[in-house]
Amino acid sequence: MSTIELRDVTKQFGAFTAVKNVNLAVAAGEVVCLLGPSGCGKTTTLRIIAGLERASGGDVIIAGKRMNALRPDQRDIAMVFQFYALYPALTVRENIMFPLHVERLDAQTAGARVARVARMLQLEAVLDRLPSHISEGEKQRVAVARAVVRDPNCFLFDEPLSRLDVELRQTMRGQIKSVLTGLSKATVIVTHDQLEALTMADRIAIMRDGVIEQIASPHEVFARPATLFVASFIGTPQMNLLPAQFEGAEGTQGRFMVDGQPIRLPVDPAVRKLPKGQVTIGIRPRALVPDAEGGADIIAGRAELIEPMGAETLIHARTPLGGDLRVVVPRALKVKAGDVMSLRADARETHVFDESGKAIRT
Amino acid sequence: MTDLAQDVAGARPAPVARALRIRRVRFGGAASGVGHAGWGRTIAAAIVSFIYFFPVFWIILTAFKTYEDALAVPAKFFFTPTLENFVQVFNRSFSAGAQAQNTGFTLYFFNSLFISGVSVLLALAIGAMAAFGFSRYPLKGNDTYLFMILTTRMLPAIVVIIPIFIMFRVTGLAGTYAGIIGLYTVFNLPFAIWMMKSFFDELSPDVEDAARIDGSSDVRVFFKICLPQVWAGLAATAVFGLILTWNEFLFALLLSGVETRTVPVAMSQTIGGDIGVRWGLLAAIETLFLVPVIIVTFALQNQLLRGVTFGTIKR
Amino acid sequence: MTTITDVPEAVPALRKLIAPRWNNWPGALVVFVIGTALAIALLEPKFSFWVSAALAVLFAATVVANAWGRYTGGLLVAPALALLFVMNIFPLLWSFGLSFFNYRSNRARAPTWVGLENYQKVLTDPDIWDRLHNTIILVLMTVTTQMVVGFLLALLFSKQFPLRRYLLILVLTPMMLSYVAVGAFFRYYYDPTFGLLSQAVRLFTGHPFILMNTVWGSRIGIVFVDAWMWSPFVMLLVLAGLVSVPKYLYEAAAIDRVPKWRQFVSITFPYIRGLLLLALLFRTIEAFKLFDLVFLLTNGGPGTATETIALKVYRVAFENNRTSESTALAYILLFTVIVLTNLYLYFANQRAREVAAP
Repeated sequence: MSTIELRDVTKQFGAFTAVKNVNLAVAAGEVVCLLGPSGCGKTTTLRIIAGLERASGGDVIIAGKRMNALRPDQRDIAMVFQFYALYPALTVRENIMFPLHVERLDAQTAGARVARVARMLQLEAVLDRLPSHISEGEKQRVAVARAVVRDPNCFLFDEPLSRLDVELRQTMRGQIKSVLTGLSKATVIVTHDQLEALTMADRIAIMRDGVIEQIASPHEVFARPATLFVASFIGTPQMNLLPAQFEGAEGTQGRFMVDGQPIRLPVDPAVRKLPKGQVTIGIRPRALVPDAEGGADIIAGRAELIEPMGAETLIHARTPLGGDLRVVVPRALKVKAGDVMSLRADARETHVFDESGKAIRT
Repeated sequence: MTDLAQDVAGARPAPVARALRIRRVRFGGAASGVGHAGWGRTIAAAIVSFIYFFPVFWIILTAFKTYEDALAVPAKFFFTPTLENFVQVFNRSFSAGAQAQNTGFTLYFFNSLFISGVSVLLALAIGAMAAFGFSRYPLKGNDTYLFMILTTRMLPAIVVIIPIFIMFRVTGLAGTYAGIIGLYTVFNLPFAIWMMKSFFDELSPDVEDAARIDGSSDVRVFFKICLPQVWAGLAATAVFGLILTWNEFLFALLLSGVETRTVPVAMSQTIGGDIGVRWGLLAAIETLFLVPVIIVTFALQNQLLRGVTFGTIKR
Repeated sequence: MTTITDVPEAVPALRKLIAPRWNNWPGALVVFVIGTALAIALLEPKFSFWVSAALAVLFAATVVANAWGRYTGGLLVAPALALLFVMNIFPLLWSFGLSFFNYRSNRARAPTWVGLENYQKVLTDPDIWDRLHNTIILVLMTVTTQMVVGFLLALLFSKQFPLRRYLLILVLTPMMLSYVAVGAFFRYYYDPTFGLLSQAVRLFTGHPFILMNTVWGSRIGIVFVDAWMWSPFVMLLVLAGLVSVPKYLYEAAAIDRVPKWRQFVSITFPYIRGLLLLALLFRTIEAFKLFDLVFLLTNGGPGTATETIALKVYRVAFENNRTSESTALAYILLFTVIVLTNLYLYFANQRAREVAAP
């Protein structure tokens, strides 16, 4: 079975711990994205799976076998590098065929495989060119082709789309996803772009400082972020995070002091059990609805910068005590810089995080 | 090194960048990939280095030996060192029993330094200027000029030695500083031009344009903006030029006079003489002569590598 | 009244001439001519040369300043080209012309035209062919040794290991020595009685070892020294290539389960190919020019066994004073070198741009 499993994997470089007790299980055919900012340890984790780095602790299990001590060439894995790593002196065809040498196939079988893969990735036109004479997008497809032409235990992608421009990225996202769907191999993709992760992954593992903060489906990470970091990392524009004092529960609502103002917000049952104290409230920009009538339980914000985004408008606002707010409203609603808006939070999109950053929900 | 880690490291916060550097140093084990080897290789390299260095080492050793020790059979590794040879470099008797007199070696050392130094500086100045011209203002015949320039470096010395010798005699340049410096400058020019041109080609014109818009004149742009960026190329050219002219023998032999003699020529004259080869003395001269070269090479070793490859390999 | 208005017209022109501005090239020209004339008349040739040269530089500088912005490219390049012309091209042409006369530098009479006689003499002289034969053997031996050893050295130093930096400098020391010292000391090392080589052999066999008295012995002796001095140069070039291979290519190859030998052929070799050829070219040219070492080590001996073409040219020119003949010989040598160079450049250009960054 093509599976990957990491058990308590740790990696240290001298005194610095790059990867801390990472636990990850990727099923056959599943695509897991390692998502996170630069320096969070995601590439290191990928390289540990590949065998290009040796884990300081923990187990690396691929296809059911413990592979800690094995070299990359002994692990039967395929990897697409960030810089493509195409062999510059070989043609595209020879590049794709390179991994097949060790399998000792006869020329016909090998040729057929290369042709099939080339057709799948629309590389037929450039098969006899050198890597220096093809476009960036084509190089990327060649790198993928080289990985896909084999029958490895798993696929590893290191920031595959980071060097493409926006349009190419869109096309390639779809293409890679469709290529991978047919292959039923465990796949790990490393990226720092949340859009890539959200569209390509079956599950996303968000990492920070060597630790996985949450592994869940894209929907889950968006709708139910487990920590403050995940909440702020996923979603554009960034979620509003307001420091608040929790004053107690009131039926289905919680009473908070936000920005010096008392507010009652509908909250998850688990929040009501929280003792009084410092919390952070997370509200997505689209969950803040301007309420012309005002009244109780509103957050006031003075609009400072208006960014038209087409069908919607992003408003950068400031609360009376100086906090930042981002509000997204439909285009029809006209707001000028300097207007004070009364904002009401939509219950479904409100999250409460305790002092340590953990989300409080059932 | 187009190291993946190095490319990405720039975007990372400091502790991670440092960690990545540590990774590159502390690689170990089969799973880590190419780039690092352990003490086994050090031992092999040490043996090889020793083979290469041994004759040089022996020369330096000989400089501290007396005449008898130098020729001792079996060869002496352990002996009482003496500084007599170094003294004799500057003051010695030229025939058996004669009075010790000043040999003029201070002059010869000075000559070597002066001639090499000036010719390298001139080559740098003229060469950098020309390279800048070739790079920034490409002419139609650019490739031809550059090719011609390169081939002049490849010409066997003998082909030009005779007419140059005659030319020098006729114009009275033989034995003058100007003559030999001019010649050495021309030796170093092709290399300087090629080196500097590749460096200038790499400069992005944006910075210069920005400076021009800000009101700097062309000259200022050249000195304040272009030159600092290519100083590595200047250093590489300087090192290579210095090494080349420092040890140059043939032209110096034929074209330098009594007062402008360089050390290699003077050395060849100490070999003859009625006392036979004074090994200790010769060794002492060469050891002293070696010092500036080693210093310069050590100080600019990174640039030397770039110079050797004509700057075609980017680091 | 007219006199007052006349003078101001004349003065500006003169003033323009002597104005000390950087782009006043007519003024500089005048200074140059007058200055040179005075210098030649009053000073010794040594000094007048310097004065004249300084004034010429001044003149050139003003021309440069004057045309700055208009002919900038050409003027930046002109001094270098001029110098190269004077010191390289001009002597080449001169000696080319000289080869058609029968000039002898020790005779006072004017040379007479002899056409291709010198070339004929040189090409039919069995001595010359013998020397050429010597040279080719030496070139083949020394270049092969240097390339092989240099390449192996580069492989050795291609990875980071403790003390690498210092050991590398040690290996580079032979290149830094003066040929004179090298020649003299290796003559000593090879000496049958006192030399280290002989002593070392004597430890094992009990007999002194004489290297330099046989034809092949002296060839090996020369080749050993030349390779010892210059294989580090080849190493530097190849090393530069080895080091420029991006590491992730090897990582990808490891993941693709490519065996080491194939990694070398398909990945490493294309990167170093250009540099290997460069090293080959440089060292071959230098080997053909082999003069210093042979002169100092064997002086062509034993007999004339190791006398190279370059050495022969030197002898004919300076010891026999048959200047024109020697230029003819030198030109034949030059022709050979040019042919070789062009062959190399043909191959190099064919494959030069193949390996670009991915």
